Amino acid sequence: MADDKLSTAESLRSTRSYGQVRCMNPSCAGRITPAPGQTQAKCPKCGSEWRIFWINAGLPRVKGPVWETSQRLANERLDQIAAEAGKNEELAKKEVK
Amino acid sequence: MSLDRKVAIVDLTTGKIDIKAIPLAVRKQFLGGRGLAAYLLYNYSKPGCDPLGPDNAVIFSAGILGGMLASASARTDVMTKNPLTGLLGSGNFGGFFAPELRYAGFDHIVVIGKAAKPVYIFVHDGEVEIKDAKNLWGKTVTEAQWAVREELGDPDVKCAVCGPAAEKLVRYANVMTGIKNANGRGGGGCTMGSKNLKMVAARGTMDIKIAHPHEALEFDKRFIEQITSAKVNQTMGVLGTPFIWGATNSWGGIRTNNFQFNQLLNADPIEPEEIDEWSKESMGSEYNMSACFGCQVHCRAKYKIPDTPLARKYGLVGKYDEGPEYTSQGAFNGEPGCTGLDTLLMGNHLVDQYGVDNLEIGSTISWAMELYEKGILTTKETDGLDLRFGNDDAVIAMIHHICKRDTWLGDVLAEGGIRASEKIGKDSFKLLIHMKGMQNLHSDERATPALALNLALASRGSDHLRSRPAIDLYHLPVDVMRRIYSSPVAYDGPLSSDHTEYIGKPWQVAWHENCYMAVDCLGICKYHTTFLGATLPNFEDWAKVLYYNVGLEMTPKDIWDVAERSNMVERLFNIREGMKKDDPFKGEILAERYFTEPCKRGAPDVIGKKIDKPKFLEMRALFYKYKGLDENGVPTPESLKKYGLENLDKEPLRI
Ligand code: SF4
Ligand SMILES: [Zn+2]
Repeated sequence: MADDKLSTAESLRSTRSYGQVRCMNPSCAGRITPAPGQTQAKCPKCGSEWRIFWINAGLPRVKGPVWETSQRLANERLDQIAAEAGKNEELAKKEVK
Repeated sequence: MSLDRKVAIVDLTTGKIDIKAIPLAVRKQFLGGRGLAAYLLYNYSKPGCDPLGPDNAVIFSAGILGGMLASASARTDVMTKNPLTGLLGSGNFGGFFAPELRYAGFDHIVVIGKAAKPVYIFVHDGEVEIKDAKNLWGKTVTEAQWAVREELGDPDVKCAVCGPAAEKLVRYANVMTGIKNANGRGGGGCTMGSKNLKMVAARGTMDIKIAHPHEALEFDKRFIEQITSAKVNQTMGVLGTPFIWGATNSWGGIRTNNFQFNQLLNADPIEPEEIDEWSKESMGSEYNMSACFGCQVHCRAKYKIPDTPLARKYGLVGKYDEGPEYTSQGAFNGEPGCTGLDTLLMGNHLVDQYGVDNLEIGSTISWAMELYEKGILTTKETDGLDLRFGNDDAVIAMIHHICKRDTWLGDVLAEGGIRASEKIGKDSFKLLIHMKGMQNLHSDERATPALALNLALASRGSDHLRSRPAIDLYHLPVDVMRRIYSSPVAYDGPLSSDHTEYIGKPWQVAWHENCYMAVDCLGICKYHTTFLGATLPNFEDWAKVLYYNVGLEMTPKDIWDVAERSNMVERLFNIREGMKKDDPFKGEILAERYFTEPCKRGAPDVIGKKIDKPKFLEMRALFYKYKGLDENGVPTPESLKKYGLENLDKEPLRI
């Protein structure tokens, strides 16, 4: 049984990316590289903006959205869906305040 | 040896206690923990029994690695016929109970019957006693544990205990251990309450011999390094599970206002970083995280409740607790639309003390809030309580009323959503977000078909820990996914890195169902597995850890088969107790709102998403095929034969 070969999960460790966060817009998921200590970052791919927290010097994470940007983008998307679906579409009610 | 632990069958009606060895053949078929518990439940609960009657069984199970050096081998499964759903009830907690049970010589305690008066079971160094619990009955979760330690004169006694909510037969009452480790989602506490069983207390000094000690030490070191070096676990070690809520709320994957929305806007006060800050401040230390037995991740923040008008009103200022988890953020903030940090910390503390499922109570209160805002409930039914969304005070008040059953609405909601909707009437059932009679976790799966499929198929009802392929959101390259999902069983079907896709997802869900069952049989923590990251251990790693520590020589495929067999027993139990795939109460189908109401908040790509019903049904059919089930989700005769389950009813192999 003394099998020292790396398992799939162990071997995937080399693919970890440090110093980066993923854009939290799920279908974008682009990589963002905030400068050390930076507390806000914009996704170069989709324009979403995120507040950043540093777990340690090399490990940033998205703390949450920049609410204003997030709601603006959400409203734009709702308008777009409403326009596509016609004015009676339930989503046109602008549920995002 | 790790394999010489025993099972005790305790009949509370007669007082008879049978202690039996676990045959090696049964071990190899189910390993331990949840797998063996399913087998025991199938055999020791009477078909069709009243979950609150003496014919139901409640089973406490340690995993086969319990108390050993492999990381976080701390988990206990408690299984019963769920008083809320009438189907399988199964929960899992960490803490220190399972190791202590094993040091006392046992892996499983099966409790049947009903005691005439409150009792507790004391398990110690190979012996089992039934003792009078007169002085424990009525006590909160922590009071009861401290009292029994005093009574037994031993501060190291570990308990699986129920609280006041279980004594009142709240149908989603938990079994608890320590300050906050909750065996939720299973109704095991309620079953204990119905049996007049306050707790199982364990204390042991018996050795567990490691099969290959030198190699085990070497390998366990490597195993632990694999776990602690993962980014996700480093994050957990600082922020705890609230980091998951923070991430999910960022993109709009949180159910809020009972499913009307999918993001809690401006939720800064309860973001994980704020909780961390408050935890450090209230504990007066940087070292503000605690952990379960043998865990280096330490995901649980300690805290004291802040001095706020609301905390003062309920007399909770300065009360100590641990781990306002991801689920509590959803239950007391996301779902009812409240952003108060005090509401989170107080709600978490109350459910820990009453011993009740935070998800179920939070979802149930939020459902009542929607009924109130829609005029289906009025102040007449709420005893004057203003049950609108965002009313933090009302959430805290309702937790008390449900756990004490001291108002009409509290009493009705203690029965759970389906029974409550029968009493409330009107359109209340349509607004209930449940699967198999259990309300959902606070997450919103309308943008993630794979995660939605898990909800419908989870053996214990709507659930986030049964087969949820959470890594579907990581956008792993397909070749990486192929490596993960083709082991230990070859899979050459489609896979997609796009979480909004339906294609390839049934296999991922089927794979994760086996993965998490294996974890629960081993008795280790899910945060140390592929649940949260592709670089965390799974079948290949477990075969090694099992061999070095326990001495069982099993291939990854053997472990896969154990999981497949155990999942099949859980499914057979559910079928025996009335599960039918399209049944709106007990079926494997999503609440209708998943198919009809689109998401309205969050990241641009989430808005407008809902689940496509025909595609969902196709995914379910494919899942059934992968799992060796017929088109109705029933195991085929060939599958039963393959897993040696064809005679489960006719000749139950009772241990
Ligand atoms: S990660 Fe958390 S829940 Fe899991 S064993 Fe460690 S402390 Fe317990
Ligand atoms: Zn982006």
